[in-house]
Amino acid sequence: MKQFRFTFLLVASLFSLSASAQTADEVIAKNIEALGGAAKLATLKSVRMESNLSVQGMDIPVVTTKVHNVGQRVDISAMGMDGYMIMTPTKGWTYMPFMGQSAPEAMPEEQVKEGAEELDLNGALFNYKEKGSTVELLGKEDIDGTSTFKIKLTTKAGKTRTYFIDAKTFFIIRMTAKATVMGQEQEVSVSYGDYKAVDGVFFAHTIGGAFGQGDMTVTKIEVNKAVDEKIFTVGG
Amino acid sequence: MKKILLCSFLISMAIVQTGFAQTAINSNTFGMMEARALGPGTMSGRISAIEGVADDPKIIYVGSAGGGIWKTTNGGASFKPIFDKYCQSIGAIAIDPKNSKVVYAGTGESNMRNSVSIGDGLYKSTDAGDNWVKIGLDSTEHIARIVVDPKNSNNIYVAAPGPLWSDSKHRGLYKSTDGGKTWDKILYINEKAGCAEVILDPTNSDIIYASTWEFRRLPYLFNSGGNGSGFYKSTDGGKTWKELTNGLPSKPFGRIAFTLAPSAPQNMFAIVESNETGLYISNDGGESWKKQSAILNVVARPFYFSTIVVDPKDPKRVYRPAYTFSYSVDGGYSFAESSGEGGWLHSDMHALWINPQNSSHMYVGSDGGVYMSVDKGATWMFLQNLPVGQFYHVAVDAKEPYNIMGGLQDNGSWIAPSATPGGVTNSSWVALFGGDGFWVQPDGVDPNIVYAESQGGNVGRIDTRTLKSVSIKPQQGVGESKLRWNWNTPIVIGQANKKNLYIGAQYLYKTTDQGRNWTRISPDLTTNDKKKQEQENSGGLSADNTSAENHTTIFTIAESPLDENMIWVGTDDGNLQYTIDGGKNWVNVAKNYAASGIPAQTWVSSIEPSRFDKNTVYASFENHMYGDHKTYVAKSTDLGKTWTMFKSDEFTGFAHKIKEDLVSKDLLFIGTEMGLFASTDAGTTWFRMKNKVPDMALVRDIQIHPKTNDLLIATHGRGIYVIDDISPMRLITKDIAEKDVYLFENKPMRLTNGDWGNGGFPGTGGWNAGNPISIPPIQYYLKDRLNSGRVVVEIYDDSGKLVQSIPASNRKGLNKVYWNQRMKPPKTATGGSKVDYGGFIAPMVLPGKYTVKLKAGSKELSSSVVMQHDDKNPNFSKEDRQLQYKTAMDIYRLHESLAKVVDDISGRQKQLKKYMDSTSNKKLKVTLQEYYDQLEALRANCLATKMKSVFADEERIRERITDLYMAVAMQESAPSNLQLQRVGVLKGEVDGAAQSNEAIVAKYDAKVKAALIKEGLLKDDKPKVENKKL
Repeated sequence: MKQFRFTFLLVASLFSLSASAQTADEVIAKNIEALGGAAKLATLKSVRMESNLSVQGMDIPVVTTKVHNVGQRVDISAMGMDGYMIMTPTKGWTYMPFMGQSAPEAMPEEQVKEGAEELDLNGALFNYKEKGSTVELLGKEDIDGTSTFKIKLTTKAGKTRTYFIDAKTFFIIRMTAKATVMGQEQEVSVSYGDYKAVDGVFFAHTIGGAFGQGDMTVTKIEVNKAVDEKIFTVGG
Repeated sequence: MKKILLCSFLISMAIVQTGFAQTAINSNTFGMMEARALGPGTMSGRISAIEGVADDPKIIYVGSAGGGIWKTTNGGASFKPIFDKYCQSIGAIAIDPKNSKVVYAGTGESNMRNSVSIGDGLYKSTDAGDNWVKIGLDSTEHIARIVVDPKNSNNIYVAAPGPLWSDSKHRGLYKSTDGGKTWDKILYINEKAGCAEVILDPTNSDIIYASTWEFRRLPYLFNSGGNGSGFYKSTDGGKTWKELTNGLPSKPFGRIAFTLAPSAPQNMFAIVESNETGLYISNDGGESWKKQSAILNVVARPFYFSTIVVDPKDPKRVYRPAYTFSYSVDGGYSFAESSGEGGWLHSDMHALWINPQNSSHMYVGSDGGVYMSVDKGATWMFLQNLPVGQFYHVAVDAKEPYNIMGGLQDNGSWIAPSATPGGVTNSSWVALFGGDGFWVQPDGVDPNIVYAESQGGNVGRIDTRTLKSVSIKPQQGVGESKLRWNWNTPIVIGQANKKNLYIGAQYLYKTTDQGRNWTRISPDLTTNDKKKQEQENSGGLSADNTSAENHTTIFTIAESPLDENMIWVGTDDGNLQYTIDGGKNWVNVAKNYAASGIPAQTWVSSIEPSRFDKNTVYASFENHMYGDHKTYVAKSTDLGKTWTMFKSDEFTGFAHKIKEDLVSKDLLFIGTEMGLFASTDAGTTWFRMKNKVPDMALVRDIQIHPKTNDLLIATHGRGIYVIDDISPMRLITKDIAEKDVYLFENKPMRLTNGDWGNGGFPGTGGWNAGNPISIPPIQYYLKDRLNSGRVVVEIYDDSGKLVQSIPASNRKGLNKVYWNQRMKPPKTATGGSKVDYGGFIAPMVLPGKYTVKLKAGSKELSSSVVMQHDDKNPNFSKEDRQLQYKTAMDIYRLHESLAKVVDDISGRQKQLKKYMDSTSNKKLKVTLQEYYDQLEALRANCLATKMKSVFADEERIRERITDLYMAVAMQESAPSNLQLQRVGVLKGEVDGAAQSNEAIVAKYDAKVKAALIKEGLLKDDKPKVENKKL
C-alpha cells in the first residue's frame, strides 16, 4: 500500500515532463525544447488526464487533475467503487475502498513531503536552478536497448530522481527514484512512451510500471481548463 | 572555406553511413529475452569484504569473490546487487567515515587461492553505491584494503598486493591526497612483493602500519614468502617508513595479518607467516613484539586467512575469523571457538564487520556466505539471500521439468528442479556430494544416476533416490605412473553415445557401465613435464598442497556428437589431442593451434566438437596463470590442422568455455572470466550478452537444454543463470533485424493454467528464482523503441471476434507478450462495497486457431496461433473441457445479466435522487423515497453493499455467482454435479431479481412519472425515452 502510494505520486508526476543534453544543462534544454519549449511549458496552469489501467483484462479508469503547485487529485474507479488520492503542498489523503479502506486516510507527513514537488506541472528539470535543485549528468546509459542520457537531480530537500532521456528524441523514457518513507527504503521505476502534443506541449501517453501493473494508457489530456480547487479537499 | 568543406564532407559521410547502416545484432536485439538468476542462496559463495555504515549500521555493503557488491539497508533482511556493470571480483570496500555516501570498491580479491579472479582497478561512488566511477589503479589486479583517513576524507590509502601470476610494478601501498584523483605509491618493495595490509592509528592519522608480501603462483606451485615480505611503520603519513623487527621472528616472512585495538591503538596483534609462524602481540605501537602461543586456527593458512579484528571498544576482545571462528577475551592470550548452536558456520572466513554502535552485533563473511551474530560471535545465523555461489560447471537432465546440477567452490555439488511450485528456492536444492564441487553429470541413460566429484578426481556415482554414493575413481594400474588428477577433474558423458562416461587423469578412462569397470583408452596425454609435478613443495613458508596445484593433467574431454569414436582431450599444460578410433591412436594438435597465435602450454579450457560437421571443432584456451588475460577461442574446420582465432573488441577476460548451439550452426557462445559473449554469424562478429546477466559475470560453463532451448550459465560468483528459450537468437536473422516490426510465428500452445502447481505461501526469505513462465509468449521484434503510438496485441477467434486486447511493450528488440489464453472478463455488477473478483476472471478459450494481430504505432501485422487441448493433463479430457467451458460461459452470462439489472437499478436511483433534491413537494418526496428504498432493498440483495471491512464477508447474488464462477472458470476438470445444479439455482436468483425489478418499476414508475410531469420536473413529450431513463 505504501509502495502503491509512493508509486502513485511519481506516476502522477508525468505532468512534470523533463529531458537532457551533452552537459546536463544542454540535455535539459533539449528536453524542454522537445516538450514544446520553455515558454510553452511555463503557460501550464492545470492538466486533466484521463487514462486507463488494464489489470488482467479489466479496464480501470484513472482521472488525474492537477493545478500547478496547488494540488493534485487522482480519481480511480474500479468495480463501481470510487477512490481517490489528494495531494497539496502540505497535506494529502488517500481513499481506496477497493483496497479495503473504509474512510479517507491522511497521508503521513513524510509522504506528503516526498510528493510535494510532483505538484510542479513544469517538471523538476524545468528551471531546476531557481527551484534550488542541482543536476548531474551521469553519462549515457542503455535503457532496454535505447541510448539515453542519465541525469540525476537532487532537490533542495535532498531528494534524488534519476531521469533517462532518449538521446535521439530527448524525451524522458524512464525515471527512477528512491525514498525512505516510514523507515522503509522504496525504489520506483516508471517508464514513459507515446509522447504526443496537447496544445503544443508533449505528454507521455503510456506510462509503464505504474502501480506495479502493466502500462497505463492515457486517452485524453486537457490543459489549462478551469479547476475548482475544492476537489483538493476530502469531500470536495 | 575549409570549414565548409569539412562540414559538407561530414554531412555526405553521414548520409552514406545512414544509407548503408546495418542494424547490428547484439544484446539489445534480444530485448526481453532476459535471464533469471537461479541463485541459490543455500550455499552462498566466498565473501571478501564487509563494511557497514557507522552511524546507520543497518546499511551494509558486502563484497564477494566473484559476485560483485551487495547492499542491504535493513541489516540483511534483503540485499541488492549494486555493481553489476563492473568487475565482479571484490577485494576491499571502504566507506568515508565523514560522509557515508562516499564508498570505495577495490576490485580483485586478495585471498590468493588457485581459483582467485582478478580486478581492474578502484571504483568510487558518491551516492552510496547507486553510481560508480573508476578512479585508477587499473593494473593492480588485487586490492586487499582501502582506508580513508578519518580526519581528512581526501587522504586514501590502498594496499595492493598486485598480480598473483606475474611480476609487476603495479603493487605496493598507494596514497591519494585528493579523494582518489591522483595516486602516489608510498611503499614499494619490488616487482614480486606488494602490500597486503594497511591500518591507520585512529588517534593519529600520521601513524600508519603496513605489511608487504612476496608471493607468486605458477600453474603448478604456490609460494608465499620471501625477502620482499616485511612489516612497516610510518609516523609521517607515509613519507618515511621503518621496518618493525623487534621481537618478531627472523625473516623471511610470508603474509602478515595484523590489527590494532581501536580503543587503545598501542595494542597490536599480528599473525606473522614465517619459519616460526605465530601470533605476535605488541603494546607499544609495534615497536616491540612478543610471541604468544595460539591455537591452530589462529595461525592457519596465512595466505588465505588474513583477517584479525579487535572489538571497537574493548581492547582485550580479539577476533580471528579463519578456518573456524576464534575469539579471545583476554587480549589474545587465549582463544575460544564459536559455538555450533544455531547451525554450522561455514569454514574459511575472510571478512568481519563489527557494528560500532553495538559491538555484540557483527557480520562475518566466509567461503559460504554471510552470517550475523548478536552475541559477539558466540553463535551465528546464516543470511540466506545472497546468491553468490561459485559454480564451476552446470549440467541438465531430460526430465520435465528438467533438473539443473553443478558443483561449487567449497560448497559441494547440488541438484535442483528448473521449476517447482512457488518457484525455485533455497529449499529446492539437494546436496549430492561434498568438498569442493566441479563437474556433475547425469547418466545418459539411467534417470536415477548422477556423477559428481570433489577436488582431485574423487568421483562418485550417486543414486538420486537414495542419495548414496559409490566411489568410482579409477586407480593406478600395474606399470602406470601415479595418477595426476586436476583440481577440477573432467567427468563427461558421451554426446554420440550417451552410455559412455569419461574421466581424465593424465590418461583418459572410459566406462559404459556407470563406472563399475573402467578402460584406460589413452597413453599419458599431457606433456608429463616433471618440473611441473613438484606439488609437495607447494606453499612457500607454510606447506599448502590441497590438489589445487596439481598439474600436467587432463582438463577437458569431449566426444563428438556425430561419432563416439572421435574424442577430443585438452590438458592444463597445452596439449590438445584427438582420436578417431575410440582411443587407439591419438593426434596432438598443440603446435597447430599455437600457429594461430595462441600461446603454447596454455590451459585448454573447453573443447566443442561441432554437431554439424565432424571436421569442425572449437576450443577455448586460457593463459592467465602465466599473467596473460587475453581471450583465446579458436575454430578449426580441418580436424585441428589449422586454427582461426575469434577476434572481437568486445572480448574481456580469459576464456573458460565455447559452446555451439544445438540447432543453428551460426550461433555460438563464449564464457570468460569477465562476461558472456555471443555470435549469430558463426563467430565473425561478437557481442556481450547482457539480458540481465551481469556485464562482467565470471562465466565458467554454458549449456543449452535440447528440449526447452534454455541457456544455462554457470557463473563463479553469481550462481546459475537461466535464459529461458533462446530460440529467438536462431530466428532473428539479419533480414529480420532490418525490419521495423516483425511478428514471429507461434508454435501451437497448450491450453493450461500452468505446469508448476498452485500451492504455496509467499516466500519467507532466502533466494527465490521464480519459475519459467509455463505459457509461451507471443513474440515480436521492434527495430527501435516505438516513440509514438502504442503497441497492442489483439487476439481474434475463428469467426473474427475480438477475444482479448493486450497492451504490449514498446522496447527495442525482441518483445514478449503473454496472453493468458482467456477471453475478456465479464462485466459484473458494480457499485457495491467490496471488490468482486468475478470481474477479473474469464473462461479459458477453446482449442482452435486464433489470429494474433500486432498493432505497433501505424503498423499492423498478423500471425496465427493454434491453441491445443492439454494432453499432458490426464484428469481433463476434451469432453470435460467442452462442458467446463459451456458451464463457465453460462455463469459468465449470469454475471452480465445481473450487471444489467443492477445498472438499471442504479440508473433509476440516480434519477430519483436528482428529483428528490429538486422537488419541494413533500408527498412526491415520500413516494420517490419509497421507490428509491425498494430499489435499494433489491440492489442490496443483488450485491454486497454494506460491507465495512475486508474481513467481514457479505454474500449476495453477485458474490454467490462469483464463488461458483471462480471455481468453474479456473478449474481444469469437468464441473461436478453440484456445480452444474448450482448454475440453475443462481439463474433462478438472477431471474428473480430481474422480475422484482420489473415489479417495482411497474408499481411506481407510471405513478412517479405522472407526478413528476405534474410538478414540471419531467416533460410529457418524450414518454418512451423518459420511461426508460427513469
